[in-house]
Amino acid sequence: MNRRDALRSLASTAAALAASRTWIHVRAEQGWTPAVLTPAQDAEVVALTEAIIPATETPGAKAALVNRFVDQALAGAGAAQRDAFLQGLAWVTARCQAEFGQTFAAATPEQQVSLLTRIDDDGTIAAAEQPGADFFRTIKGMTISGYYSTEIGLRQELGDDGRMVLAQFEGCTHPEHQG
Amino acid sequence: MQIISSPKVYPVIVIGSGASGGMAAWNLTRQGIEVLLLDAGDKFDRSTYWTHVTPWEARERRARGERPPQFFLDRNESPYETPAGRPFDLTRVWGHGGKTNVWGRVSLRLSDVNLKEPARDGWEIPWPIAYADIAPYYDKVDQLIGVCGGDDDSDILPGSRYHLPPPAPRCAERLIQKGARTLDIPFVPTRRANRTRSVRGSIPCHYCGNCGAGCDVAAFFCSADHLLPEALATKKLEIRSNAVVARILTDANGLASGVQYFDRKTGSEQQVRGKVIVVGASCVDSTRILLNSTSRTHPNGLGNGSDVIGRYLCEQVRFHANGYLPALAGGPTRNDRGIGGEHLYMPRFNHRAGHTRDYLRGFGAQMWSTGASASGAHGGSEKIPGFGATLKREIKRRHPAWFEIHPYGEVLPYADNRITVDPAKPDRFGVPTIRIDYTIRDNERKMLAHMSDTVEEIVKAAGGVFVNYTRGDVDGNGTAIHEHGTCRMGDDPKRSALNAFNRMHDVRNVYVVDGSAFPTATEKNPTLTILALAWRATDHLADDMRRGTL
Repeated sequence: MNRRDALRSLASTAAALAASRTWIHVRAEQGWTPAVLTPAQDAEVVALTEAIIPATETPGAKAALVNRFVDQALAGAGAAQRDAFLQGLAWVTARCQAEFGQTFAAATPEQQVSLLTRIDDDGTIAAAEQPGADFFRTIKGMTISGYYSTEIGLRQELGDDGRMVLAQFEGCTHPEHQG
Repeated sequence: MQIISSPKVYPVIVIGSGASGGMAAWNLTRQGIEVLLLDAGDKFDRSTYWTHVTPWEARERRARGERPPQFFLDRNESPYETPAGRPFDLTRVWGHGGKTNVWGRVSLRLSDVNLKEPARDGWEIPWPIAYADIAPYYDKVDQLIGVCGGDDDSDILPGSRYHLPPPAPRCAERLIQKGARTLDIPFVPTRRANRTRSVRGSIPCHYCGNCGAGCDVAAFFCSADHLLPEALATKKLEIRSNAVVARILTDANGLASGVQYFDRKTGSEQQVRGKVIVVGASCVDSTRILLNSTSRTHPNGLGNGSDVIGRYLCEQVRFHANGYLPALAGGPTRNDRGIGGEHLYMPRFNHRAGHTRDYLRGFGAQMWSTGASASGAHGGSEKIPGFGATLKREIKRRHPAWFEIHPYGEVLPYADNRITVDPAKPDRFGVPTIRIDYTIRDNERKMLAHMSDTVEEIVKAAGGVFVNYTRGDVDGNGTAIHEHGTCRMGDDPKRSALNAFNRMHDVRNVYVVDGSAFPTATEKNPTLTILALAWRATDHLADDMRRGTL
């Protein structure tokens, strides 16, 4: 499996993890330690996921503990996927060190945005940024899977009412939607 | 190894307890006929399902070491081979009720458009039966299992007087329907075996939308919930679990005399004797059993003098398109869980006047996962460009507006789309494993182009925007889980294995009642028809047994 395929399959693994409901951290678990990530890598993941889904009127990825979801997904992934992810993460940190003289987590919001803008795939990724772009696509997918399968993401942010027992299914009642 | 053989001769042995085997056991026992039912797995325990487990509870359960039930068979337990570059994704459930524990529940009647088409277009053999032969059984099945649906009735999709009320469409489904109508392509209320009303005292559907986890209150039809208990209540049914059938045994005259199976847990070989064998192990496993049942009289597999068994494997070709409807974006999030699938279905239309096609047969389309997702952001959200507050805002805006269209097209039967057994590759019991060699061809590629055109036109007419859709991308072979054709029925014993009542031409005390009996795949989901034909076949068998004419 090449690096790109490994990253792609990791995103699918994470999506499956979110769908299988093995994950949902709604409150801080005391004494949590990552299974895969080092504390320094974890800090980078916290900052990256929060940059992807930040706190707005509702809490963001950091408050939803999406970093733990990422760690859990990595723990369940194959070695090739895990390595590809960690290499991508190292690429981001190294790039930040080179450009800003500090890690992604320590960089200013403007610096973070400037890097992410270059590696967010809009179809015009420079060759030198391609490893970053492949990684960013993956962590973005994992952040979306992880965040929106929490109570914060699904209920607070997206407004799902969570009801699983209805006497009737009302369906669409808008006159303008009827044929 | 010691072979354990019981002296008892059962009037009927049924292999498999899903839609086909479960129906056979139910229909025979209620007519007073004693049945031994063999299933390759155990009973699933509904009280352990995670149907309504919230993500919060799920986490705590996992922490306690609990897991949801694993319905699907691990491929390694019963391996199969495919040629390099030609994968086939086989999905199997070994356990009481088989795939009906987690099936998609789409319950569409075949029509004479489907059944008479092979005779008209000349591709392979005709069906030996017409709609009028199955219709009374469709009526009975609808009443027995509970199928929701509308009051529509058309040449391609015959109606039913016994449909339960259909669930109201979701907003996004309405807009797709409205767009398609301008193209003269109708969408009609879906027909799924969800009990939107109580059926004989059962608990009705409560619209949690999580049918794929198994229904913990049995509000959709499952053989293990709705057929086997009634059959057991007759005291005429004996079920043996974890009985992995290897072969049907024959006597000196070439008639079936019993079944050889291996205990899934202990590996011990067992033999049971029966006067009649009804095979309903699902298309691929039934085919494996028949091809492995060789003898001097049946060197090519049981009842396979015609060499058709294993050939003509056909299912459906499909792809998945999704996107969002700007007209719904930014609106309130509704609870779109519903019956865990689409509420509107696009029946086949290409046979009608005004439509042309450069291929045989046709396609319909489902729309599952349309509307607001209940398990997180829709998967297409990952394709939204950007990050930060802009991304978060756009994911929320699109949340109520997603649509999905999933067209299913009929794959023609081809003699060399084929299941074979390989004695050089035995399974853990020493029984030859199967090899599946299956491809789609020109007819399917032309149909796929029309399927793509249709989806593109509908989405355009509905004002939708594609997000995950690449013209030409096709889902993997086998993923529709609608295998057919490898033990087909027909009037000509040289070209078919079964007669019009699912009885083997060559072996008069063997019936094959699952999807393998279908001469064509059609564009429709097969289970309703499997139930109807298994009922019809076992009525025929029961009549013969009563008259002593078997």
